[in-house]
Amino acid sequence: MNSTIYRNQRTDETCHRIDHPSGLTIFVCPKPGYRSCYAALATRYGSIDTTCLNEKGMAEPVPEGIAHYLEHKLFESEDGDAFARYAETGASANAYTSFDHTAYLFTCTDRLEDNLEILLDFVRHPYFTEETVQKEQGIIGQEIRMLEDNPGRRCLFNLLRTLYSRHPARIDIGGTVESIARITPQLLYDCYRTYYDLHNMALAVSGDITVEQVTAVADRVLGAGHDAGGPQKRAAVLRTPPVPSLTEPEAVEESRVEQAMPVSAPLFYYGYKKTIPEEEAGRVQSPAELAGAAVLSELLAGKASPLYARLMEAGLINTSFGADLFDGPGYAVFLFAGESADPDRVCEEIRAEINRLRREGIAPADFEAARRAVYGRMVAGLNDVENCADARISDLFNGREPFALIDETATLGVQLVTKLLDEDLRDECAAVSIVRPA
Amino acid sequence: MTDSPCFRPLTAGARALTLPADRFKTARLTAALLLPLSEKDASARALLPFLLRRGCAAYPDFTSLNRRLNELYGARVSAEVARIGETQALVLTAVSLDDRYALEKEAVTAECAALLRSMLFEPALESGLFRLSDVEQERRMLTELIESEINDKRLYARRRCEELTCEGEPFSIDRYGRAEEVMALTPQSMTAVWREALEQSRLLLITQSGRDTAADSLADVLKGLPCRSPRPLEAVPAPRGKKGVRRVTERMDLAQAKLVMGFVTPVAESRSAPEEVAAMRLMNALLGGTPHSLLFRNVREKLSLCYYCASSFDRHKGVFLIDSGVEEQRAAKAEEEILRQLDCVRRGDFTQEDLEAARRSVVSQFRTLGDLQSTLAGWYLEQANRDIPLSPEAAAAEIAAVSAEQVRKAAESLTFDTVYLLAGQDKSGQA
Repeated sequence: MNSTIYRNQRTDETCHRIDHPSGLTIFVCPKPGYRSCYAALATRYGSIDTTCLNEKGMAEPVPEGIAHYLEHKLFESEDGDAFARYAETGASANAYTSFDHTAYLFTCTDRLEDNLEILLDFVRHPYFTEETVQKEQGIIGQEIRMLEDNPGRRCLFNLLRTLYSRHPARIDIGGTVESIARITPQLLYDCYRTYYDLHNMALAVSGDITVEQVTAVADRVLGAGHDAGGPQKRAAVLRTPPVPSLTEPEAVEESRVEQAMPVSAPLFYYGYKKTIPEEEAGRVQSPAELAGAAVLSELLAGKASPLYARLMEAGLINTSFGADLFDGPGYAVFLFAGESADPDRVCEEIRAEINRLRREGIAPADFEAARRAVYGRMVAGLNDVENCADARISDLFNGREPFALIDETATLGVQLVTKLLDEDLRDECAAVSIVRPA
Repeated sequence: MTDSPCFRPLTAGARALTLPADRFKTARLTAALLLPLSEKDASARALLPFLLRRGCAAYPDFTSLNRRLNELYGARVSAEVARIGETQALVLTAVSLDDRYALEKEAVTAECAALLRSMLFEPALESGLFRLSDVEQERRMLTELIESEINDKRLYARRRCEELTCEGEPFSIDRYGRAEEVMALTPQSMTAVWREALEQSRLLLITQSGRDTAADSLADVLKGLPCRSPRPLEAVPAPRGKKGVRRVTERMDLAQAKLVMGFVTPVAESRSAPEEVAAMRLMNALLGGTPHSLLFRNVREKLSLCYYCASSFDRHKGVFLIDSGVEEQRAAKAEEEILRQLDCVRRGDFTQEDLEAARRSVVSQFRTLGDLQSTLAGWYLEQANRDIPLSPEAAAAEIAAVSAEQVRKAAESLTFDTVYLLAGQDKSGQA
């Protein structure tokens, strides 16, 4: 069994990576002194995966929202649901589907081995019938309705649909009431077979635990024999079939979208789509780019920035204002978000500030303060056992080494941030989404 | 087992609690000013922590203060207002990187504590008053915050149901006060509110830091506290309740209706024996607190009526809410099934397995909450009105001792009071 230890001196954190013979990649993140253990079993399959392989091995399109539907249905087996099994151990269990992965998780204080066994078992045993699939329509239909009433989420997805004309980041994770009505047990089985291969999956466990505790369960449940696929399969199966139509036109077609909803004041998302050239279709952001974008967000829109002070003084923003990079395979948007009586003026001020900073350059002391702030917050994030495990999965699926992001931030230079400022924030690639009071 | 933490008296009406935090990368300092929730003063008091967060003697404006916090590795000072029963808690919290993890091992924590102290006692004043521009900006933002409560429909509906259940009682007062009152606040009135709060509030200081951080520097936060005459804590009366069940429907342009059912109970922390409160907490988990609960399994999984159906218990006041997001035309069916499940618990018609599952879930939840500094600080802040706080371990032990009969009695003590339905504009579903 291939095992690697990653130690991060700066933050006093360690994690172990085990390439289990079953094909599963396992991370163990010891957190001495913690009472809770957290585990997440994830597959690299999310809403941006819009096809699956049918029984003949041919890629065919699937209804929007099917990855999320599958996540709900996996909890069910022929003799009851996984929540009932966790109820016997006292673990608190959940699951979620994102753009690029689906994760099944639990938190517990004891009986870690039993809980891991439940997790590794139910996720590998799909059970879908016409009747159970039908029953879920009502539940997920209500989840979709609930999210339709969420103004922040509506505002973000309206923006993504405007920015991306082809990339499936434009699709809502849950799909629509109409699209989920087309989901059948056969389609669920096809998606399951395509994406729930252990070579395409990762388990991350954090808490006051040892590597042996975790691998012993994996050996018992998944088998400890030789991996027939080997490392080649581990690498090859990732994101198969590839996300279609990842390449996007550089510029946006529409630069504005509005919706009326019952909200107290207008909400806005203003985003710059980052150009990802055709030959790099599906590329994810490097750790350095992520660190650079985080520092740039702080410089442009942080609470210590001149823009924040100006907008606040003019009564145009409140503390909900901020900037961030929103990214995944083949998509990256530099986002400004907030609530404002006049979102268009806020966007104008943002553009003016970007131009000012380009013209005047980033002052070394400003850069250093922003870099420290980003570094400190990343280290603070390690307090959370869930973050520690989730970050390992997200890093693996995006081809990043553990702790690379923290190390890049600690050693980041101003040149990269200047480059991002000069190249990534182009007016012809920007759009604004506004939700106005009805 | 470690000793249970206790509140150490500092000066009149001020107490401190120290929690070990060696395993964390950050130190956290929470300062809460506790005052009775009152219609007359709620708005002005709610504005105070936000105004104090704007600056202090050494960093008088918002930008320079935030710049300093960035240099201190992105330390955060946040202002919030919480409701604990009928107490309004004005809270400032500073979170900073533990000195061990500063890139050049700077004394980050002590400086953050000093900043927090300065914000409380040496705010940025001009001619002895808060600056008009600061008051104006915070006024606008608090008003926006109050008005934006409508944006989260689930929270908004729950809040409305609470208001209707305890109409006319301090418990129904919004922790942020009222928008129109906020807009009338002035530098003069706010300066008076600040002085009064320092003099009359009960104070709780919660420090969470690693063993190498000088705990003294954190406790020093309350140095400079003026001569004080804190207001005594008033008992929280049981909800008055009403004759019969009141039904209120309000309409908005919504895709999904929100059903909230309000119940009142004499059981509450300041009025009941600890085992009665523990029994209600366990009953809440059994009925609607987990994905294995009766409401989740029946209203959601069996009848597919909703995505969420959950219950919650305010142990300070004795208010119990059950809420669900449903199609409007199926709200009556959801209500019927919810009452049927509650009735089962009232009759003792539940299995020992389900009770044990609920118990394991609550115990596990209590045991894990110490792994997040914010959650643990919140756990103790919620107990700011108690003489002796209950550690999560001690609370778990109380849950372990609850019997099925006590759970049944807890359910029996609930009186159905209010049904609030937030529904869509058109009644298309009812055709």
